[in-house]
Amino acid sequence: MKLDYLLYAFENVKHKKMRSMLTVLSILIGIMAIFALVSFGQGLSSYINDLSTQMGTDKIMIYAKGVGAPGTDDTFKILKSEIDFVGKVRGISEITGMYASVVEVEFNKQKKYAYSVGLSQGKEKAMIEEMINIKVDEGRDLKEGDKMKVVLGDNYRIPEKIFKKPVKVGDIIKVNGVDVQVVGFYEPIGNPQDDAQVYFTIEGMETLLPAKKDRYDYAIARVNPDMNPQEVAKRAAEKLRKYKGQKEGQEDFYIQTFEQMIETFTTIFNVLNGVLVLIALISLIVAAVNIANTMYTAVLERTREIGIMKAVGAKNFDIAMMFLFEAGLLGAVGGALGIFMGYLIARLGGFIAANAGYSLLYPIFPAWLIIGCLLFSFFVGALSGLFPAIQASKLKPVDALRYE
Amino acid sequence: MRKMKESKTKKTIIKLENVWKIYTMGHVEVPALRGLDIEIKEGEFVALMGPSGSGKSTSMNMVGCLDIPTKGRIFLAGKNISHMTESELAQIRGRKIGFIFQQFNLIPTLTALENVALPMIFQNTTKEQRMERAEELLNLVGLGDRINHKPSEMSGGQQQRVAIARSLANDPDVILADEPTGNLDSKTGDSVIDFLTNLHITKGKTIIMVTHDAHVAESAERIELLKDGRIVSTKKGKHHKKHE
Repeated sequence: MKLDYLLYAFENVKHKKMRSMLTVLSILIGIMAIFALVSFGQGLSSYINDLSTQMGTDKIMIYAKGVGAPGTDDTFKILKSEIDFVGKVRGISEITGMYASVVEVEFNKQKKYAYSVGLSQGKEKAMIEEMINIKVDEGRDLKEGDKMKVVLGDNYRIPEKIFKKPVKVGDIIKVNGVDVQVVGFYEPIGNPQDDAQVYFTIEGMETLLPAKKDRYDYAIARVNPDMNPQEVAKRAAEKLRKYKGQKEGQEDFYIQTFEQMIETFTTIFNVLNGVLVLIALISLIVAAVNIANTMYTAVLERTREIGIMKAVGAKNFDIAMMFLFEAGLLGAVGGALGIFMGYLIARLGGFIAANAGYSLLYPIFPAWLIIGCLLFSFFVGALSGLFPAIQASKLKPVDALRYE
Repeated sequence: MRKMKESKTKKTIIKLENVWKIYTMGHVEVPALRGLDIEIKEGEFVALMGPSGSGKSTSMNMVGCLDIPTKGRIFLAGKNISHMTESELAQIRGRKIGFIFQQFNLIPTLTALENVALPMIFQNTTKEQRMERAEELLNLVGLGDRINHKPSEMSGGQQQRVAIARSLANDPDVILADEPTGNLDSKTGDSVIDFLTNLHITKGKTIIMVTHDAHVAESAERIELLKDGRIVSTKKGKHHKKHE
């Protein structure tokens, strides 16, 4: 029985090819956009999830207030005394300050600007490694006492990416005019900023930029496993504020748990993605209006057919179901094609992003997204066809048969 | 079957009692039927004849359960249908009545086979049953080689034969033919009438034919003449083959 409605709907959709195609196209565009956007959103949130699981939830970040990334604005710093103070706050088990600075890198007579960090190689190294979350996969890692030695991001060893000639382990490069030796390379991270970083030891950075000594750009701390990181972060912020004699709301630093940081980022991303999905939803509403229009036309055109079917025994319900199925079919076909096109676009988008260095922007296609889009498009179609279907079912057989 | 039909106690299949149908056009009430009384027995072949405006179409709508009367009562197989809902009427139509229209009224997007199978979709049948019966019926009307043709690929006479096959789909008691020859040339029209007569004789179907054509009406057993919304005279058909 149900299958027969579908067959009739299918015949009619096939019969009016051009009109069906245009209607299908309108829903295709909406579903395509939604599918592609959500698949990217899912990819990014799965990346972030992986990231926060790997980095652990026991980290607290302390930032000096400033514009842009740490190290790009020298107005505010975190002093060594302040770091020592926070390190004594109850619940914090270890803490280390870090330097960050924009430096000029010269290799083979080519000059480039890059982001550089100075990281402790001492007892806090394990904590830093958890945060950086990448490994040296060529040459060796930095070790305590290394001064004029650096480890570079992945992009330096790729020809034409940063420098024309790839940098090799053992090469000498100039950083702010000073010769340093490259001892290793980190594995790729997936975005062009991080993959172009220059890594020093704390001592190395202090030698290169003596003015920085004991004036850190940011710090990372670990919370005791039996304490709530958020509470510890709050307590540390309050104590540091009093220590620095600053009023609430006028602090020149931020203390956040790593999770909060990720949350902030995720929220921004979700809002952005949400706005885009909303726009795609508006296009779906337009598509729904289009389907309703198509179905109203179909009811008018087939008034006589409706009369015939009623004459040979079709109940109002049968007629309504036929038109609902037809509208749903238009929706589902548009949805299926939209998913296919959305998949291609997301794949292409992921490919372009990876080529541009943003390999962390990759789409994923969970089964629920595919099934959800398909069901959603069917229901959007059926819902749009609801009123035309009811109108069709209410036609009187006598009037419908007389309709020319 | 034949024995029962010829017995004196034929059952009444359709009965209209003082049926009125009044259409309201703007503020004017136009009565199309003014107290129509008809009784049709099982296995009869009756022609409802009359000029245009006599209430032919309205009376056919009443007899065919396509509409309900403003006043009066209609019985189909002893059941009062005058106050039934749309869906109840649809069920009864589907099972008890087969329609043949002047315009053939086939669904243009469906093949001959699917058109014949259509009335069975609305009853509880399986697809195999439907397709088997539809093919059988198309063979019966001599279109066994046209089952996959669409209406637009067939002549008027062929289309009307598909419509006849469709009217028989649910093996109804009554075949209701509304000007069945109206859109056909006289030769093709005659063959359609022959076919109906044949159904009447061999299958014992009750046939009610609405026509304005006196020649066509003469093929019926009984001719009821309509004028101004009621029956004005009754006579026997001259050419009815059963009596020859």
